[in-house]
Amino acid sequence: MDARTPPSAETARAADGALLAVSGLSKSFPGVRALHNVDFDLKPGEVHCLIGENGAGKSTLVKIIAGVQAPDDGDMQVNGVTASFSGPLDAQNAGIACIFQELTVVDGLTIAENIALGDEPGSFGIFKQSQARKRAEQLLASIGFTDLPVTRLCGKLSPAEKQAVMIAKALRQNTRIIIMDEPTSPLEDAEVRKLFDVIERLKAAGKGIIYVSHKMREIDLLGDRITVFKDGERVATLNRGEATSEDLVQLMVGRELSNMFPAKSHSPGDIALEVRGLTGPSITDVSFDVRHGEVLGIAGLAGAGRTELLRSIFGADIVHSGTVSVDGSRIGANSVIKAIQAGIGLVPEERRSQGIVPVLTVGDNAGIVWDQFPGQRDGASDRTAAVSEIVDLLKVKTPSLSQRISTLSGGNQQKVVLGKWLLTKTQVMLLDEPTRGIDVGAKREIYQIINDFAEKGLAVVLVSSELPELLGLSDRIIVINGGRIVGELPGDVSEEEVIAVSMLHAERKAGTQSNAFQDN
Amino acid sequence: MADTDSVQTAKPGHGNSGFVRLIRDGHNLQTIATLMVLTLMCVLFAVLSDRFLTASNFQNIMRNAAPLIIASCGMTAVMIARGLDLSVGSVLAAASVLAASLAVAGVPLYAAFVLGILFGGGVGLINGTIIAKLSVSPIIVTLGMLNIARGVAYLITPSAILVGLPRNWSDLGTSKLAGLPMPIVIAIVVACLFHVIMSYSTFGKRIYAIGGNEEAARLSGINVPRALILLYVLCGTTAAIAGIVLSSRVGAGDPNIGVGFELQVIAAVIIGGTSLSGGEGRIIGTVIGALIIAVLGNGLNLAGVEPFWQWVAQGIVLIAAIIIDRQVQDGMRNVKKG
Repeated sequence: MDARTPPSAETARAADGALLAVSGLSKSFPGVRALHNVDFDLKPGEVHCLIGENGAGKSTLVKIIAGVQAPDDGDMQVNGVTASFSGPLDAQNAGIACIFQELTVVDGLTIAENIALGDEPGSFGIFKQSQARKRAEQLLASIGFTDLPVTRLCGKLSPAEKQAVMIAKALRQNTRIIIMDEPTSPLEDAEVRKLFDVIERLKAAGKGIIYVSHKMREIDLLGDRITVFKDGERVATLNRGEATSEDLVQLMVGRELSNMFPAKSHSPGDIALEVRGLTGPSITDVSFDVRHGEVLGIAGLAGAGRTELLRSIFGADIVHSGTVSVDGSRIGANSVIKAIQAGIGLVPEERRSQGIVPVLTVGDNAGIVWDQFPGQRDGASDRTAAVSEIVDLLKVKTPSLSQRISTLSGGNQQKVVLGKWLLTKTQVMLLDEPTRGIDVGAKREIYQIINDFAEKGLAVVLVSSELPELLGLSDRIIVINGGRIVGELPGDVSEEEVIAVSMLHAERKAGTQSNAFQDN
Repeated sequence: MADTDSVQTAKPGHGNSGFVRLIRDGHNLQTIATLMVLTLMCVLFAVLSDRFLTASNFQNIMRNAAPLIIASCGMTAVMIARGLDLSVGSVLAAASVLAASLAVAGVPLYAAFVLGILFGGGVGLINGTIIAKLSVSPIIVTLGMLNIARGVAYLITPSAILVGLPRNWSDLGTSKLAGLPMPIVIAIVVACLFHVIMSYSTFGKRIYAIGGNEEAARLSGINVPRALILLYVLCGTTAAIAGIVLSSRVGAGDPNIGVGFELQVIAAVIIGGTSLSGGEGRIIGTVIGALIIAVLGNGLNLAGVEPFWQWVAQGIVLIAAIIIDRQVQDGMRNVKKG
């Protein structure tokens, strides 16, 4: 609230520099050394990026700073004062706020109510709407969101707007340190640019930002300093410009990853998938072909209908008209079962809620399609043999087939999701954001798997919000917007061209046609 | 007839003023839909029986609905927070026989009432503490408590207490205030109180937040376990108040009352538009839902329908209400997209 006085330590120590300084931080979990003797600091007005593969320790560090976990050992100073947090609330009171990857807003409450939550203005227990609105408007204006009506329900907001609400909320207390954990993963390129504007404003206001990301381009753009983690230890802290993306990746994985993408050596054959005039609630008159051995990329902004298109082809979303054919034979509409029988496979957007059954084992997850469709089985007739062959082929790191899949890393879970389609006679693979939330090393392996699919003669349709990924894997790209195809591009175009086509058909707001990564 | 008129005309009056604004908000749309169902039912029963549309019958309906409304208010709050309390029927019985036996033992009447109500709150405290602190599913905890509280009711007295109750035992159930039967007054007071809590208090915002996104609530610094415990205390308390009102009206402390009451309460809350998955719901809707159930029972009685068929009818209304609710919500979502 306005009347709140800033912690006195903050002003006293401002000259000293660091908003946050940790030293010798260690944390172990049973069987895992998550963090070992780590030093880290954050200055006012800087973006300090944390990078590392999943399990490298950056999440643990962030959780300790945010008060979610307590360290086993080590010292933490906030504004020069030794801090030990017994919960997230302590960290918040010390001026540390977290913007999580999952957008934790309450859909049923308004923007103003969400921003007020946990520190509601009121007297005698009665919530003061007008005060909450005023405060919300001020906070949103301070990050450049002046046109968002604060009485709107959060359930009606876009991911970017929800994120803005969370950032505004983070600022309501005298927050100096803001932790952003993969903040761009729910966003589209155009929205990312807006987030970067917000980050610039926060920097100008003297806030320190800890920025966790897997995306090298964002780190290049934003990072004033970059700290690399590997196996629970801090490998290096570098200033802007001291290292190239390739150097950073090499520090992270400890091996050369000069080329993330395998060489495209596909030789497209006959037409495998033929989509004609497909129309549904979110797509209109979509027609295209994909050949055997070809990777077709689908580009577009969020809400353009990419996911809906894949789901419609797969029979999971309602289709009003249009046809889908595999190898020349039409398949019945609106039936997942018929789609699978025709040889179509889908790797859905949300791995945890749509791709895997978390409580089942690796073997049961891999064999889930094999079990249901005896007629579609490919290769070995023994389930265990078939499943273990695929698990080996895709290099899934699991102690055994009877391991619960939820205990594996995201990358290994995704390999199982990809693998279940290899157990059956799949001709067409539909991939929806196949590397979302997966660390760099596993991403590269998945790129290789996708490339192998194409070399095996599968037709691959790839949806990805990460343009380098889309361009690195696709032979051809179609751009959709508003559920329609608005352009087709060869696989060797530049990112700028793809963005230009995507945006040209989106809303023509001033400035939106420039690209979030333009100054790179 | 004057009473009926005011009940009937209030609705169109509201609908006309700012109708567009009302419709724009999904919650209001839902409230209007349930209100229309209630109105249609009233019209139907008025046609089926000429005794339905009388002032005395409306008072009768309201009096019958009062315990249901009271208990449903607490349940609404719990269900908005994504909880559930199956023990309300048994708590209602235990609280009323406890109050009755205390009254028989010579405890002043209103002290006995208060102790009965505190007992209900205490049961809620146990429910809430186990649910919130030990993270046990509310269904399991309150299912266990359903048995325990019913057992306690029988342990206090194995059969209905009719003899030895103070003469003023039935006053609460039968007296009037400003021309309105006391149970109705109590129901209105409880409903208004809960409406204010849910719609205007900071605690209410937190309940919606917990039900809508518990993680967001927790990360906002809300003490989620404490809020949940308080909710189950409120729910136990309203169940006990309902028990006192009911047993005062029937003039006995009976350990057999309220069997299956929890299902009526949950039905009233769901018909009233509270989502089973939490985060949504309003007290106004719940009151309408309780009235729908009360009107249904009363109207079918007057129309001469057998009691067994009333069970069937109630079940059908519940399922229909949920189907309509889903259709409306899907419709809204499509409108938003399109």
